[in-house]
Amino acid sequence: MAHADEAALFNKDESKVDWHDKALWFVRQKRDKSAHKVKGWETLRDLASAIKANVMSNLDNYLVQFEENAQKNGVTVHWAADAEEHNKIVHSILQQTNVKKVVKSKSMLTEECHLNPYLEANGIEVVDTDLGERIVQLAKEVPSHIVLPAIHKTKEEVDVLFQKHLGTKPSNGDPQYLTNEARKHLRDKFLKADAAITGVNFAVADTGGIVVCTNEGNADMGAHLAKVHIACMGMEKLIPQEKHLGIFLRLLARSATGQPITTYSSHFNKPAPGTEMHIVIVDNGRTEQLNREDFRASLHCIRCGACMNTCPIYRRSGGHSYKATIPGPIGSILSPGKDLTKHSDLPFASTLCGSCSDVCPVKINIHEQLYKWRQVIVKDVPQPVVKKTVLKIAGRVLANSKMYGFAGKSARFILKHAPRFVTYSKFNAWGEARDLPEVKDDNFDTWYKKRQKHE
Amino acid sequence: MSRASILNAVKKNKPDLLPLPEIDLDVFSENIDLVKTFIGNVEFVGGRAIQLGSVENIDSEIKNLYPNATKIVSCTRDSNLGTISISKNTNPHGLETIDLAIVKGELAVAENGAVWISENDLTIRVLPFITNDLILIVNKEDIHLHMHSAYKAISKRDRTFGLFLSGPSKTADIEQCLVIGAQGAISLTVLIV
Amino acid sequence: MKVGLFIPCYINQLYPQVGIATLELLEKLGVDVDYPMGQTCCGQPLGNSGYEDDSKGICQLFVENFKTYDYIVGPSGSCVYHVKKHFDILEQTEDVKRVRKNTYELCQFIHDVLGKTHLGASFPYKVGIHKSCHGLRGLRLGSCSERMDTHYSTEEDLLKNVKGLELKTLKRVDECCGFGGTFSVFEEAISVKMGNDRIRDHIDSDVQVITGADHSCLMHLEGLINRNKQPLKVMHIAEILNSSI
Repeated sequence: MAHADEAALFNKDESKVDWHDKALWFVRQKRDKSAHKVKGWETLRDLASAIKANVMSNLDNYLVQFEENAQKNGVTVHWAADAEEHNKIVHSILQQTNVKKVVKSKSMLTEECHLNPYLEANGIEVVDTDLGERIVQLAKEVPSHIVLPAIHKTKEEVDVLFQKHLGTKPSNGDPQYLTNEARKHLRDKFLKADAAITGVNFAVADTGGIVVCTNEGNADMGAHLAKVHIACMGMEKLIPQEKHLGIFLRLLARSATGQPITTYSSHFNKPAPGTEMHIVIVDNGRTEQLNREDFRASLHCIRCGACMNTCPIYRRSGGHSYKATIPGPIGSILSPGKDLTKHSDLPFASTLCGSCSDVCPVKINIHEQLYKWRQVIVKDVPQPVVKKTVLKIAGRVLANSKMYGFAGKSARFILKHAPRFVTYSKFNAWGEARDLPEVKDDNFDTWYKKRQKHE
Repeated sequence: MSRASILNAVKKNKPDLLPLPEIDLDVFSENIDLVKTFIGNVEFVGGRAIQLGSVENIDSEIKNLYPNATKIVSCTRDSNLGTISISKNTNPHGLETIDLAIVKGELAVAENGAVWISENDLTIRVLPFITNDLILIVNKEDIHLHMHSAYKAISKRDRTFGLFLSGPSKTADIEQCLVIGAQGAISLTVLIV
Repeated sequence: MKVGLFIPCYINQLYPQVGIATLELLEKLGVDVDYPMGQTCCGQPLGNSGYEDDSKGICQLFVENFKTYDYIVGPSGSCVYHVKKHFDILEQTEDVKRVRKNTYELCQFIHDVLGKTHLGASFPYKVGIHKSCHGLRGLRLGSCSERMDTHYSTEEDLLKNVKGLELKTLKRVDECCGFGGTFSVFEEAISVKMGNDRIRDHIDSDVQVITGADHSCLMHLEGLINRNKQPLKVMHIAEILNSSI
């Protein structure tokens, strides 16, 4: 089902739409307040954007440098061309180390690669340990937001879910109680896990280290208790030098939730004595996106989710309406690069209002890329005949003054004189909820000509 | 291994080299009270920061704050309250029942209330996460204005594991309601000496 | 200084009063205005739908119609933005470059080029501004809430000097209204919801008249207001700035 249909469905319950919209707008407001406190915020954004542009232009060298340094630190580095290879690599590490139970902290990359079902099919238990991710995992859903995975769920829904899966008492959705129960449940999982999988927020080329950011402490609880730590990263996560973290960490949490920094910004360089650390570097379509001049900057994304919180469409359609691992504006420029036909509706799920580009901490020109994808899609993906024909004819009519004059008059004549049941039929989506403009006797052209005569 | 093919594809597809930007730190400099700003930010992120007159007051303050803590790990000579001693060989799983951990932070950051601690300060990496409550001690001269300054100060370290820690563990994953105490320590007190 | 008046197609056909107010206002301010006959459209409806290539003839015609003027001024932020931003699809001849550079949205022209903010208008009503996205984040008619810049607003500067006018502050100062061209029909549910939410904000902020520098947003909002019989009027900013009530 296309985004518009999903969105229409979501909008059947207006109070839920309002609730969803307000929850995310609240996060956007927290972000605004937090960013206002930073002297030089716009300079930080400029610097972050320029650093990421440099990274993309020198990515191969940075990757090699990162690998060398990580290996010197005693970390094993793996390379995966696609999701399948990524999953196989992770599974083989787990097999070699005899792992049966895995705890995993938030990683959009492993969502993208569908790692959980792969491991589960191979007899390995995978527990998502971020509370929001655990909620959607228990509900057998996918995250609807990259930072707030369960933002679409009410606390009452979580209550029912936890009663069923964790054996909690009914609490009318008391967040404190539910979080405490989840803490106990996850403590047990952490203590019993043989391996921990984490994502990577930043990989530093000149030190070979990675930085993982969480608020809950779940990535660290997993990684420091288990014997094996596997960190999975998209290849675009690199930054050149450690000092650049100063820029990105100032931007990331403020943009994401309005916190000045995440609770834990953990810098992993060497494995602890007696443990193993692996890093899996994944391409999965990224080199292709790197080749697309107009869309390359989408790889600058640091996954803060600010474009989702600000997007007036996302807030009113919910993350699941996008049918993509990464929903919202940034997902709508990333996903067509992966599967143009499947995601061809997404670049149109926008008014091109540009709020996403201005909120983006690394200044990705998201709305301009949405516009560019539209140009690609109408050429490469079959379009509805009516829409295509109308627009192509419009192109010819509007390029010709005389034809335009005639068409304008006729259209106004129809609007003015056709009976209401014609102009407000089911073929007119405009008229479903909106009145059409009242048609005046003269258009501006005619008025102007008359005025010229009188002068 | 797809290493070679990935690197070749990158080489082929990347744009012409773009320069790394110069970073002019003057843009971010501010003349503010670092201690006051730091304390304000620790409170903003759900923690508590207390400025003490001297190192001698640390233990009485901690006893006052956590009168019921019995299983205490102290990783610093600044406190003698430790009841359980740990070494690099301690099994991290054994720390599950710790009530309180006391750790000396190397530096702190005014703009976000974060304290930098590294493996050397912790002995066991999982300690500040697995403990029920956490106390970090920092010297007031070690509070930096912003992250740029903090990274400069830690640039010469031995890199094993380290983190910026700002506030207690928290989540807002249930309807955006902030709950302190998710998977890590459920409270954080920073003592400034 | 010779100004070519650019009246976007939908204003020409559906809102002639906006074109008239624009022309009268500019003339009142002593500007020598000419309305080149034979102008049609800027090509935006095609470009935004992905049919940019089919709009080249339209864009070229625009350049032909306006290439001799010192300035091209139109009462629609999104159309002006389209000319400035998306005429990159044409061969960049001297004419094309000049037209792109010299095309201005009405408020921006009055404020930045003429350097005027006191226009002698009076309009004794409570007014809320709808800041159209293409005007705001495209043409930068004002600071937007996402960026941490010093506050400024071209429309506010002009409206604050209108006698009797009381400018109201909204809860969400610059959220999109959901028009978005063909978005308004292809994503009808969300478009309508966004529009209704904007209108609710204006009503809650005690606004009597919603105004803005882009009549396509206003057309969408007006369609909803009229359908729902809400106690609000919608007027283009040119109509207010040209008022002497």
